[in-house]
Amino acid sequence: MNGNVKNNPLKKVLQIRGMGQVLTVTVGLIILCIVFGIINPTFFSFRNINNLLRQIAPILLIGIGQSYVLITGNIDLSIGSVVGMSTMISATLMTHGMNPWLSVIITLICCIAVGLANGLLVAGCKLPPFIATLGTMTIARGIAQIANGNYNTDSIGAAAEGFRNFFYYGRFLGIFSTVWIAIVLWVIFNFILSRTRTGRHIYAVGSNPDAAKLSGVSILGTTTKVYVVASICSCIVGLTQCASAGMGAMDAGNSYELYAVAASVIGGVSTLGGQGILLGTVIGAAIWGVLQNGLQFAGAPVAIRNIVIGVIVVLSVLLDVVVRGGKKIKIQKNK
Amino acid sequence: MEEKERPVVEMEHITKIFPGVVALDDVSFELRKGEVMALLGENGAGKSTLVKILSGVYTKDEGTIKIDGVDVGDVTPQSARKHGIAIIHQELNMCRHLSVAENIFLGRELSKHGILSSKEMEKEAERILSSLKIDISPSTIVGDLPVSKQQMVEIAKALSTNARILIMDEPTSALSDKEINELFRIIRDLKEHGHSIIYISHRLEELKHIVDRVTIMRDGHFITRADFSSLSMDQIISYMVGREIKEKFPHVETPVGETVFSVKNLNAGKMVRNVSFDVRKGEILGIAGLMGAGRTETTRAIFGVDPKEGGNIHLDGKEIVIRRPKDAIKAGVVLVPEDRKKDGLCTKLSIRENIALPNLDMLSDKASVIHSRKEHKMVGDAISSLSVKLSSAEANAASLSGGNQQKIVVGKWLARRSRVVIFDEPTRGIDVAAKVEIYNLMNRLKENGIAVVFVSSELPEILGMADRIAVMCDGEIKGFLQRGEATQEKIMALATQFEKKIVEVEL
Repeated sequence: MNGNVKNNPLKKVLQIRGMGQVLTVTVGLIILCIVFGIINPTFFSFRNINNLLRQIAPILLIGIGQSYVLITGNIDLSIGSVVGMSTMISATLMTHGMNPWLSVIITLICCIAVGLANGLLVAGCKLPPFIATLGTMTIARGIAQIANGNYNTDSIGAAAEGFRNFFYYGRFLGIFSTVWIAIVLWVIFNFILSRTRTGRHIYAVGSNPDAAKLSGVSILGTTTKVYVVASICSCIVGLTQCASAGMGAMDAGNSYELYAVAASVIGGVSTLGGQGILLGTVIGAAIWGVLQNGLQFAGAPVAIRNIVIGVIVVLSVLLDVVVRGGKKIKIQKNK
Repeated sequence: MEEKERPVVEMEHITKIFPGVVALDDVSFELRKGEVMALLGENGAGKSTLVKILSGVYTKDEGTIKIDGVDVGDVTPQSARKHGIAIIHQELNMCRHLSVAENIFLGRELSKHGILSSKEMEKEAERILSSLKIDISPSTIVGDLPVSKQQMVEIAKALSTNARILIMDEPTSALSDKEINELFRIIRDLKEHGHSIIYISHRLEELKHIVDRVTIMRDGHFITRADFSSLSMDQIISYMVGREIKEKFPHVETPVGETVFSVKNLNAGKMVRNVSFDVRKGEILGIAGLMGAGRTETTRAIFGVDPKEGGNIHLDGKEIVIRRPKDAIKAGVVLVPEDRKKDGLCTKLSIRENIALPNLDMLSDKASVIHSRKEHKMVGDAISSLSVKLSSAEANAASLSGGNQQKIVVGKWLARRSRVVIFDEPTRGIDVAAKVEIYNLMNRLKENGIAVVFVSSELPEILGMADRIAVMCDGEIKGFLQRGEATQEKIMALATQFEKKIVEVEL
């Protein structure tokens, strides 16, 4: 019956859920790149593109985390604070002479604990996710501040050279290591979301938790997993920031949770749950990065950049609401 | 006496057609001043549709409505209020966070220069409440009141709009005996003050305490109207049921084997009390009962959706423990839930994803990676064996018609080697052709030795398909009937065996 579809690779790609929105924003991204390229030809220089990719990578990582959470129909406001917590804990440990890799492991464990707490509060205690993660957001920021006695840390020192190269300065095939980390994690998390049982459960919980439960899906388990993924992604971003600065800053990752929402929704992830793919998050993060980078290149002040990005976020969601709103009316007519 | 006999509402030749269903066919109804009229009938007899037309929720297709002898044409919610018609809803419609007075005046707040006159509203609310001899302070938050008092607030709210025709839909279902007495006192009070009441209830036992006359409906038709005192309980039941069985049911005889599934002394809250039943190989066990009898609650407790307070479940002679739906599915007990939009389908996901959802354990390897080819095969098999009409398995589940959606919900479970399939109202809201396909499917399961539990509110359907029928009322199984001996009257007699909440000496 649908052999026709199977034989046509293009159609098969188009059939993937949410691909329509991704293609639309991809066109937008290409147009943006062309415009910035015309304004300033050095936009397309290898050097700038390489820097641009390194700017996009952290947004993509937190975007992956937030997309996971949004697809279950929840939200994670603690992402930015966990970034700060990760930076401060790892930097503090290293300035006290701990082996960088051991520090990384301890930091990861601390961050995962926040993710577990989020999952238990939201799915176990049935708190509204906005409130629960608002609480953990404040707590995590407090931990970031208390880690080094309410001061930013000193330099993490020469012993951490390997750490700094691994997370930020190193290159492989000419591309910065941060970008490679983002790519590897994206591939892993995209595979989990699109090809495994856990991934399918994530969509089912976001689409209809009652039906998912009656189909044997564990709501608590699935919700906890997505919050843990978000905390892992935030932790990695915090480590890259620590590696980049060579020290820990208490306000690292400020507002990142909202940048993550922006990257997700520009890429077509629905804040209502059940919809979105990580390919969209890539495009969303790229649009974010290109706008930042391109507007900076074009000489626009920070204030203008913020306004433009804000407008883009609202427009992309508005577009989505208009498109889906139209569909809803159709379905009702069919009944 | 003259005055008392005067009809306030006369509805004549009322016909209402919904797409595919004639909900009301030439129904007439009369309500006199100062009387309590019981409106009786099975689920789906058309009682609700009739009162919704009177209160302006629906518009009639044909017929006339006269109020105080004057033809009023089509009633709208606004004109219903003007004529003094008010419904006391079964599910109370109140803002739980607001006070009693605020609820009573909701939408028609008294104000002066744009500022609310809270004191005056409280005073007025106080006056209405005390005229009903209801002891509630107008400043109490409605959510803090027990259900019975909330109901009285709703009555007070209706009276505050000068309602004189009150429609009460199952007002006693959530009340204790004491509270029912209080409600009946208020109803008698209202009657004395010349208010007319339409009283809808399945609790036939209670009617004798307040009801003057009854109107009985069945299948959207008017059956009879009579003084309550002139009818016996058995007569009322036989008027209510006697439903014409138009459809042919594809029942098949299968030799009955050993017990496959047995539930013993299951308890889960007020709606599931000491429920015990067996289902044997090759039989369909029907569970009949009126709305709110506890049938859906029973299926949910068995399946592990709601917590159990006690009881054992045996499958093929071995005890199984079901704490979550996942345990039930693993053991081979599956549930096709009543509300397919709410509990059955993930409407934002594709048909393929919906069918695969409970079966992902079978479709994935040890690393929990889903095998796309296995998945497509399972989905293809399910779709063709259920003959679902669809453009593509990738389409949204929401895009299907009700009947096809239901088939998808059923199809989710067919791929598994289940031992017990529980259907809760599987044919509600789907067309005749789809119904027959669901029936055939139940037969196929039965022939394959699977225990089938079939919950339905439709008596003809239960009589037509089930080999044995358990009848529930008030959260208990009141009796079992064999296929040969079961009749609509017998089922209804069991289904209305409510606990007597009213103490007889009370009058």
